[in-house]
Amino acid sequence: MRKLWLIIKREYITRVRTKGFVIATISIPLLTAGIFGLSVFLATRQRSHTLNIATLDEAGGLSAAIARGLTRNLPDGQPLFRVVKTIEQPEAEEKARADLRAEVVAGGLDGYLVVPKDVTDGKAAEFHTRNPGDFMLTGSIESAVSDAVIARRLEERGIHVDNLKEAVRGVEIKLVRVTREGETEEKGQTFLMSVVLALLLYSTLIMYGNVTMRSVLEEKTTRVVEVLVSAVRPFQLMAGKILGVGAVAFTQYLIWTLSIAAAGAYGATMASAAGTGNPVRNLHVPIGVIVYLLIYFLTGYFLYASIYAAIGAASSNEQDAQQLQWPATLPLIFSFLMFNFVLRDPASTVSVVFSEIPFFAPILMLLRITSQTPPFWQIALSIGLLILTTVGVVYVSARIYRVGVLMHGKRPSLVEIFRWLKYT
Amino acid sequence: MDAVVLEQVTKRFDSVVAVSDLSLRIKQGAIFGLLGPNGAGKTTTLRMMMRVMIPDEGSVDVLGEPLSDRTQDLIGYLPEERGLYPRMQLRKVLVFLAALKGLSEDEADRRARAWLERMELADWAEKKVIDLSKGMQQKAQFIAAVLHRPPLLILDEPFDGLDPLNAAAVKDIMLELRDQGTTIVLSTHRMEQVEMMCDSICLINKGRNILGGDLRAIKQSYGKNTLRMEFTGEGGFLNSPLVEKVNRFGAVVEARLRRGADPQELLKAAVAEGARIARFELLEPPLNDIFIEKVSEDHA
Repeated sequence: MRKLWLIIKREYITRVRTKGFVIATISIPLLTAGIFGLSVFLATRQRSHTLNIATLDEAGGLSAAIARGLTRNLPDGQPLFRVVKTIEQPEAEEKARADLRAEVVAGGLDGYLVVPKDVTDGKAAEFHTRNPGDFMLTGSIESAVSDAVIARRLEERGIHVDNLKEAVRGVEIKLVRVTREGETEEKGQTFLMSVVLALLLYSTLIMYGNVTMRSVLEEKTTRVVEVLVSAVRPFQLMAGKILGVGAVAFTQYLIWTLSIAAAGAYGATMASAAGTGNPVRNLHVPIGVIVYLLIYFLTGYFLYASIYAAIGAASSNEQDAQQLQWPATLPLIFSFLMFNFVLRDPASTVSVVFSEIPFFAPILMLLRITSQTPPFWQIALSIGLLILTTVGVVYVSARIYRVGVLMHGKRPSLVEIFRWLKYT
Repeated sequence: MDAVVLEQVTKRFDSVVAVSDLSLRIKQGAIFGLLGPNGAGKTTTLRMMMRVMIPDEGSVDVLGEPLSDRTQDLIGYLPEERGLYPRMQLRKVLVFLAALKGLSEDEADRRARAWLERMELADWAEKKVIDLSKGMQQKAQFIAAVLHRPPLLILDEPFDGLDPLNAAAVKDIMLELRDQGTTIVLSTHRMEQVEMMCDSICLINKGRNILGGDLRAIKQSYGKNTLRMEFTGEGGFLNSPLVEKVNRFGAVVEARLRRGADPQELLKAAVAEGARIARFELLEPPLNDIFIEKVSEDHA
């Protein structure tokens, strides 16, 4: 046991103390924070000062309504727009425009709005400004002008509306998820969360599987393994490696899930300023899902890492190993192909059956859990089957490992590898 | 108690018989030479001593015990091709390998520093193994094998990659360890080393023991039947019926005399021919010759 611990320790420390690990581990929380920050920032676009604008109303009679409609405020309470000049139906339109243009260039005005004569017939209004790249501004102006014009059109048809916004406001549809415990409101987070988690699982299983494989391969090519097997049993070596690399992966997962949880808590408070309907705002992941994520990562990792270890042991170099990777990557890729199918109908027989198959369970069962909460016995069964299969795979891999690590030369055929299973 | 006893050991890989009915005995405190052509089964035999492989038939005992996890810890191994983690620090690798053999990490660290000092690698202790030259790595590998003070050392081509200075240093350490009671199994193709250092040998060919025992005794059994000569002249006298075989090494010529031939006769023939003799030495056959002869016989 002491020897096993020594091997685990070495695998763990040599990996955790590298720049690569630190960068990879930090980058996800940073990325999450960045995405949050960006969406919150975009949603509450800061403007430090009120914009002074002019309205050139060539159609006539609309400027008051438009000015009323520019109600958006800055965070500090000041209005976003202040209409400092209004020109109604000027005689010399070109000159009026030229004057306004000059004022904007000189800095006295931040921009001017031109409402053309036929605006009620659909002609576009124009907002002239030095910095046209701000979509937030356009949105506000567009809604103020549209409201004024729509009200005008209704007037022309004999309909008088006091508060247009109230009258034409649409209705939001809320999605509500029905679970055994009760009902929780969906705000688009299911799909996003499912995809993110499935991708996370998929990529980390492959990544850490590869790390295990390369660790085995390195010990082969550097011949360290010859000295190692003269000191420990091959099984201890393989197990130590898988456990050590697994511990690194688990550490990384822990840091990630903690930071996502923290971001979720922080984001919930921050994002109340972001406005409703933004799915990122509600990306808080329920504890239950996180627990299952860790469970499926661990069991899936042991299963796949054992396969990868055997692949490394049977190879003599990177190219051989690449060619021999298919027993590990095919099931994972297949899980992903089934993704949409299972997401759309998690309770269908096909979905249930495939999520129980050990090689697909980590990704597909987790998918079902995030989208629907399947009955507990199904979850328990999948975990049980995973563990049993993993034991079997570890046994087979260990037999391949103990022979393979001492072999060098041409890539062994599958037939040869099967023969290794019989060696002592 | 012998250091190692192999009793009728057989090891097969599918249809290939790597080791066949092999028996040998290695006395404690001896330097034992394990010899044989490539592919003869030497590595397999060594691996069985270290329990890296398990015999299909027969038994292997190390220091009086059947093979177990414990017997592994009693052996220090230097593999034919260097085996160290390239990107780990030198001292850390040594400590790790010694700890795997049962040493505490603190003790391993103490001893590693001492050995690195002794083998003039102290400046490289914190460097990555890959930064060391081939000769340095070989020395490091040697340290790794002896660090946990095993009573049994298995060295596969220990002088590989070492310049004469380093090779002499390693040789001296080997003799010192032997004097302290360590049994050394030396597997090498360098017959001169074997001649100089080994007490007993075993020559393996095609998995079988074709020659074994005390080295001096083996050589004496051949008698002094080899002449080592240096001379100027055409050497026509070497075609004499007294001579069974001739090995030319440039300036030096070795001639194997037929059984019962009188070397003095050959000397007379050489002088009569007009050869100027610089050296005329009567020896037992070099181990190299015995090796070649025995293996060739075995193939026939």
